[in-house]
Amino acid sequence: MTEILRCENVLVSFGGVVACNNITLGITEGKIIGLIGPNGAGKTTLFNVLTRFQDADTGSLYFRGADIGRLKPHDMASMGMTRTFQNINLFAEQSTLDNILIGAHHLIGNPFANMFGLPRARKNERKLIERARQIAEMLRLEDQLNNEVKNLPYGVQKRVEMARALASNPEIILLDEPVAGCNEEETADLKEIIQHVNRELGITVFLVEHDMSMVMSICDYIYVINFGANLAEGTPAEIQSNSDVIKAYLGEEDET
Amino acid sequence: MFGPVNKSSLNRGTLANITTLRQNWGLMIALFTAALAFPFLPGVEGWMASQAALIVVYIIAAQGVSILTGYTGLVTVGHGGFLAIGAYTSALLTKYFAVDLIIGIISGAIMAGVFGFLLGLVFLRLSGAFMAIGTLGFAFFVGTIVNNIPIFEGREGISLPTNRVLGMEIGDTGFLVISVIALGLTTLLIYRLVHSGVGRAFMALRDAERAAESSGVNRVKYRTLSFTISAAVTGVAGGLNAHIVNYVSAEVFADIWYSVDFLVATVVGGSAMLMGPFIGGFFIVMVPFFLEELADFSFILKGVVLIGVLILAPAGIAGVIARPFQALRAKRICPKSTGQPK
Repeated sequence: MTEILRCENVLVSFGGVVACNNITLGITEGKIIGLIGPNGAGKTTLFNVLTRFQDADTGSLYFRGADIGRLKPHDMASMGMTRTFQNINLFAEQSTLDNILIGAHHLIGNPFANMFGLPRARKNERKLIERARQIAEMLRLEDQLNNEVKNLPYGVQKRVEMARALASNPEIILLDEPVAGCNEEETADLKEIIQHVNRELGITVFLVEHDMSMVMSICDYIYVINFGANLAEGTPAEIQSNSDVIKAYLGEEDET
Repeated sequence: MFGPVNKSSLNRGTLANITTLRQNWGLMIALFTAALAFPFLPGVEGWMASQAALIVVYIIAAQGVSILTGYTGLVTVGHGGFLAIGAYTSALLTKYFAVDLIIGIISGAIMAGVFGFLLGLVFLRLSGAFMAIGTLGFAFFVGTIVNNIPIFEGREGISLPTNRVLGMEIGDTGFLVISVIALGLTTLLIYRLVHSGVGRAFMALRDAERAAESSGVNRVKYRTLSFTISAAVTGVAGGLNAHIVNYVSAEVFADIWYSVDFLVATVVGGSAMLMGPFIGGFFIVMVPFFLEELADFSFILKGVVLIGVLILAPAGIAGVIARPFQALRAKRICPKSTGQPK
C-alpha cells in the first residue's frame, strides 16, 4: 500500500489562534479516507494547506514522496490532485459543459495554440469536449450540459462540482463536506457517486464530512482531529468505539 | 474510461453547435460588408466616413475594455490611458520616422500591450472598487506624462502627416476601410479568445477565483494575459483615433472622460457579449452627435441610460437582444432540456 498524500507536523496559526497543531496523517492510495472532528477543529484549514491555498507555518507535505510544500494551488491539478469546496464554488454564469471543461484546464496544451485554433489544438479541444460529455453522462448531467449552473438545484450543482473535479483526471480528490445541506436522496446519490469514482476509476478520496452515518458507511479509514491536533485514527468501527472521540463530540460527563 | 457513451446525443450536440456557428458568422460577415460598403453609397459625404471611423474606434476600445471587465471581471476606468499610449506611439512614429499607417497602429497596439502587461503585474492583488480606482490612477498618470514631457507637446498638440498605407495616400473613405478591417481582426481575436480554453480561464477567474485555481488556472499568468490583450486592443483604437483627424494633443488624450465613456459603452452594450461593444460604441458616439446643441445633456443621457441598463438589464442591451436566440439554441442542442432543472 503506497501513500499518495502525506502531511507531517503541520502547524498553522492565525494570529494567536492555532488552527492546526502538528497534524500528521497519510492517505493510502485507492482508499476512501475520512477526516472528522467537531466544528473549528481545523479540518478545512488542513484541506487548504494540502491544496496549497494556505501556507503552513511549519511542517511538510508530500505527494507520492515528493515535497509539495512550495507549490501553488494551480500546480495541483496537473499533479493529479483536485478538490471541491465547502460551499458550492461553481462558475455560476456558465454552462455545465463549460464548468466541466474548466476542470480540464491543464489539459488544453499551449494556450496560444488553443486560442488561435491551430489544428492540433482543435483536435485536442474536441477530445476534451467529448470527455466532458462522458463525465456528464456518468454523473447523469447530460441533460444539463447547456444550462447555466446557477439555475440548477443544489444536489445537481454538487454533481457538477464533482464532474469538474473529475475532468482534471485526478489521482486523488479532496472533498470538503460533499453532502452538506443535501437531503436524504441527494446524500444517497452523492455517496453512490463517490463510491463509483473510487472503485471504478480507482481515484483516491479524502473527505471532510459531518454526516456521521455517511462517513462511517463509506470510509475505509478515518482520522479524527480536535482543537487542531490528531485525536484518533482507525477503521470506522474503531472510531465509533473510541472513548476519546465520543468525549470530543458529546462532551465529558460531569463527575461532581 | 467512463463507460459507454451515447453516440446519438454526441452527434446531435456537435451538429447544432456547427449550425449556430455558421449563422453567427453569416451575420458578422453581412455586418462587415455593410460597413465596408457604407462610404461608397450615394449621398454619403466625407465627414460621415470619419464619423463612422470614430464609431469604429469606440467599438474597438470597448472591445478592449470588455476583455478585462466583461470576461475577466476586473473593472477598469483607465483604458483612456491605453488609448493615449496607442495614439502617441503611432503619432510619433508616423511623424518622425514616416512609417506606414499600418505599422504605426500595430506598434501602438504592441506598446499599449507592454504597458498593460506591466500594469497587470502591478495590480495583481487588486479587485473590485480598488481595481477601478487603481486603473483610474493609471489614466491620470498617463495624462500627466503627456501634458508635461516635451516630446508629446502637451496641449499644443502634434500635427501628423497625411495617412499613407503601402506608400499610397488615403482619404477619409480609405481610412474607414482600414478601420473596419481592424475591427474585423479585433472581433475575430475576441471571438477566438472567448471560445477557447484561454477565455474559459478568464471567465473562471471572474466567477470563482479559488475554484479556477484549483482547476489549474494560473491566476498570475491569466490575469496578466487578460490585461495585455485588453490593453493592446484598446491600443489599436488609440492608433486609429490619432489618424482620424491627424492630430493628437493632451487636451483630447489626457481627458479622463475617454476612460469613463469606454466603460459606459461596454456596460451599456453588454460587457460579456460579442455584440456588446458594437451597440455600446454606437451609442456613445451617436448621443453627442444628436444632442449637439445640448452638449451637457449628453452626459446626463449617458448616465441615465447606464443606470437604466444596470437596473433593468445587467447583461447589457446585447444580453436582452440575445435572450430569445439563446433559448432557441439551447433547445436545439439539448432538445430534452426545457431550461427547467429536473
